[in-house]
Amino acid sequence: MAMGQGAAPASAGVRKDGGSAGEIARQVWQSRWLYVFLLPTVILYSAYTIWPIVASIRYSLLDWNGFDSDGVFIGLANYSELASDPQFWNAFGNTLMFLVLAVPLRVGLALVLAVALNDPRLPFVRVMRTALFLPVVTTGAIVGVVMRFVLDPTGGPINVALLDSGLLDRPVNFLGQASLALYSAVAIWVWKWLGVTLIYWLAALQTIPKDLYEAASIDGAGRVEQFRYVTVPLLVPFLIIITLLTAVEATNVFDLLLTLTGGGPFYATEVIDIFVYRQAFAANIPRLGYASAAALFFGACIVLLAALQMAVRWQLRRRAGEAR
Amino acid sequence: MTEDLKPVSPAALGPDLTRRAFLYGTVAAGAAGAGGFTAFAQAAKTIEWWDQFAPLVPLHQKIWEEFSAKNPGVKIAYTQMNPADMMQALQLAFRSKRAPDIHSILTSDLSVTNQLSKAGWFAPLDASFNADTPFLKEALLEGMTVFNGKAYSFPIFSFRQHETSLWWTKPFMEQAGIDPTAGPKTWDEMRKAAQAMTKGRTYGLILPLQFTNRMANHVLDLAQVAGAPGRFDWRTGAYPFGSEPFVQAVEFLLSFQRDGSLHPASSSLDARQGRARWAAGEAGMFFDGPWNSGVVKGSFATVLDTLGAASIPLPSTGQPAFTYHTPPSGEFWISSQCEDPAIATKILQLFTTDAYYVGLAERMDQPPLDLSAVDRANVHPTYKTVVEGFKKVVRLAPEPLIKNPNVAQVYAEMKPVTPGVGEIVQGAMGGAVSNVKATLQQYADKLTAERDRAIKVVKDKGVQVSLDDWVFPNWKQGEDYTASHYKT
Repeated sequence: MAMGQGAAPASAGVRKDGGSAGEIARQVWQSRWLYVFLLPTVILYSAYTIWPIVASIRYSLLDWNGFDSDGVFIGLANYSELASDPQFWNAFGNTLMFLVLAVPLRVGLALVLAVALNDPRLPFVRVMRTALFLPVVTTGAIVGVVMRFVLDPTGGPINVALLDSGLLDRPVNFLGQASLALYSAVAIWVWKWLGVTLIYWLAALQTIPKDLYEAASIDGAGRVEQFRYVTVPLLVPFLIIITLLTAVEATNVFDLLLTLTGGGPFYATEVIDIFVYRQAFAANIPRLGYASAAALFFGACIVLLAALQMAVRWQLRRRAGEAR
Repeated sequence: MTEDLKPVSPAALGPDLTRRAFLYGTVAAGAAGAGGFTAFAQAAKTIEWWDQFAPLVPLHQKIWEEFSAKNPGVKIAYTQMNPADMMQALQLAFRSKRAPDIHSILTSDLSVTNQLSKAGWFAPLDASFNADTPFLKEALLEGMTVFNGKAYSFPIFSFRQHETSLWWTKPFMEQAGIDPTAGPKTWDEMRKAAQAMTKGRTYGLILPLQFTNRMANHVLDLAQVAGAPGRFDWRTGAYPFGSEPFVQAVEFLLSFQRDGSLHPASSSLDARQGRARWAAGEAGMFFDGPWNSGVVKGSFATVLDTLGAASIPLPSTGQPAFTYHTPPSGEFWISSQCEDPAIATKILQLFTTDAYYVGLAERMDQPPLDLSAVDRANVHPTYKTVVEGFKKVVRLAPEPLIKNPNVAQVYAEMKPVTPGVGEIVQGAMGGAVSNVKATLQQYADKLTAERDRAIKVVKDKGVQVSLDDWVFPNWKQGEDYTASHYKT
C-alpha cells in the first residue's frame, strides 16, 4: 500500500528534514482520490457542525442583542451570570429530570415489548411492531400540537373518557398543571420514540444464538430463568449503547416541548433547549451571547457526564479484570 | 417626462443614485430606445413591506394599488408576517442585507425601539413628510418616533385603548340573569355571572394564559382600575408590582379558577385559540382588545351579532377608575437598507389622511390615531361601545423618555427581567406560585435593580440621567399627562 511504502524511508531517517515534507506530499497525491471523496463530508461537517460550535464560543463572550451587526466583548460575564441565574438552573434541572425519567422508562418498556414481540408465536407480531414504530416517523412538532388536543381538559379524548366513565368528576389538566406537565411530556416523548428503541432491542435479541436457549431448556431452565441467565447477560453490551443513544436523544426535545407546552406552565417544562431559544429568539430583546453561553455550558456538562461514565466503566472493567 | 439619453457611468451619477436604480434606469432606457420611444420610462421600483397587521391588509392593499396607479413603475410587495416569527425574520434579513423597505417591529416596547434605532435599523422619513394635524404633531416625540431631531415613524393608532374590555355572548349573559346589553359592571358581578354560566363543559371565562404578554397587560389594566398608577409609580418612580392593586388583580383572576368557572384549557391557550373557543361557545366571557370585533367579523361572522362588550369591569362602582397608557410609538419604519426612502415616505404619508383613519376604524382593529374617525365610520356597535369606554377610562401616562431623551439609553441598556407578571399569573394558575404577593414583589425588586444598573452604566459614560427622570410630581390621577405637564 502506498502509505505504508512511504512511511518506511522517513522512519529510517533518510532525508529526515526536507524529505519528510516531500514524502507527505507524495502520500497525499497518491491518496488524492481518498481526500477528494472525503471533501464533501469535511466541508459540510465543518460548515454545519464545527463552524457553529466555534461561532457559539465567540458569541458566548459577547453582549449581543442580535439587532447590532456585532456584540460587545464582555469576557466570561455571560458564564458568571448563568451560574447565578435560577431560571438556567431550573432548565438544567428539568433537562436532567427529563433524562432520569424518560431514558429508563423508554429503554425498559422497549425491552419488555421487544421480548414479547420477539416471540414468533404471538399473533399479529408484524402489525404490532409497525403500530409501535408509527409515531417515530411523525414529526415531533406535529405530535406536540396533536397531543395538546388529545390531553385537552375539556374536549380531549382522554379526559372525556375519564369523565364519562365516572373515574373522575373533574378533568385532569395534564399540560396546564405545573406538577403534572413534565411527566405528561415524558410520557408523550417515550411513546413517540419507543419504536426506535424497540427496533434496537429486537436486533439485539436476534443476535442471541437459539442453541443457548435450547441448552438452557435441556438443563431445566424455564422462560424466566432463560431470560435471567441467558438473555440479560448477553444484552448488557447492547444496554450500554442503547442507553447512551437514548440519553443523547433525550437532550434534544425542543420541537416536541415547544409545541406541547412552550416550556410552561411557569417554566415547569422549560428544558435547556427552550431556555436557549427563549433567550436568543423569543425575548423582546434577544440575548444571543447569553444563549450561546447557556448552550455551551450545558454541552460541556454533558461531555463531562459522558467522560465520567466512561471513567467509571473503565474503572469497573479494570477491577473485574484484576478480580479474575 | 423627457430626458436626454446619454451613456453615463454609475460613478458619474453621484452617491444618490444606487447601483440598483442605475441598472433599472439603464434597462428602462434600453427598452425605451429599442421601442423607438423618446420619453424615458420611469424606473421600476418594488417596495418590500413586512408587517403583522393581518386585519388591515385589505385597507392597505387598496392604498398600495392606488399609489401604484398614480406612480407607474412603483409596486408594493407585501409579506404578512406571523407575529411569533417576525423579529427573528427581521434580524436575519438585516444581517443578510435583505431587509424589507418598510416594516413594523411588533412591539411598542420603547427599549426595543431604542435598541433598534441605536443599531441603525431605521432610516428617517424623507423631508417631504408632512405632519399636518395637531394629533399627529403631538405624536412625534423624541425617543419614540423621533431620534436626534429627525422623524422616523408615526403612530397610526390612538393611545386611548386597552386590552381588557370584557366581551361576552348574549345568550350566556341572559342565562346568568344579567342584562346582556350592559353586562357585568363590577368584579363581583362578573364572578357571579361566570359561575352562573358554568354548566357541563361550558365555562364562564376563558383566559389566554400561554400568551404571557397579554396576561401581563390584563393584570396591569385591572390593577390600574383598582388604584395602581402604572408600570411604575409616577409620583415616586418605584415599580409597584408588589402593591395591593396588583395582588388584587391577580387574585381576581385566580378566583375564577377557584370557583371552577375558568375554562380548564386556558393554561395552554394563546389569545387566538382562546378567542376561537370562546366564539365556539365553550365559554361565556373573554377579555380582549377592541380588535375583537374585527377578528370575530372576519373569522366567526355568525356569532358577531350575539356579542356584547363593555369597558373594563371595576372592583366596585362609585369610584372613578382609569387606566394609563404612554404616548404611542410608530407602527411602520423605513429600513436603513431601503434604497428609496423618498418613495417609502410618500406611501407612508397616505397613512395619515382622514380617509385612512376612517378606513382603519372600519377594519375594527386598534382605534385610529384620530378617535373621532370612529364616529364617521361604519362599525359594529360593540366596537363603538369599547371605543367610547376608552374615552372615559384611558388617560395619557407620563413617559420618562419625553422628560429626558437620554432615558432612551437606559432603555437600550436594560435587559429583560423574568418571570414577569404574565408568567407569575400562569404560575399561580398552574400551582407553581403559591405566594403571589411575594413573587410580584420579587419581580419589582429585580426590575428596580436592573434599572439602577442600567442608569449607572449610562451615567458612567457621562450621560445625564437619573432616577428622577422617572418621577413626575405633578401627575394627577384621572388626567392626561400632556406636553404642557413636562414643562412645569
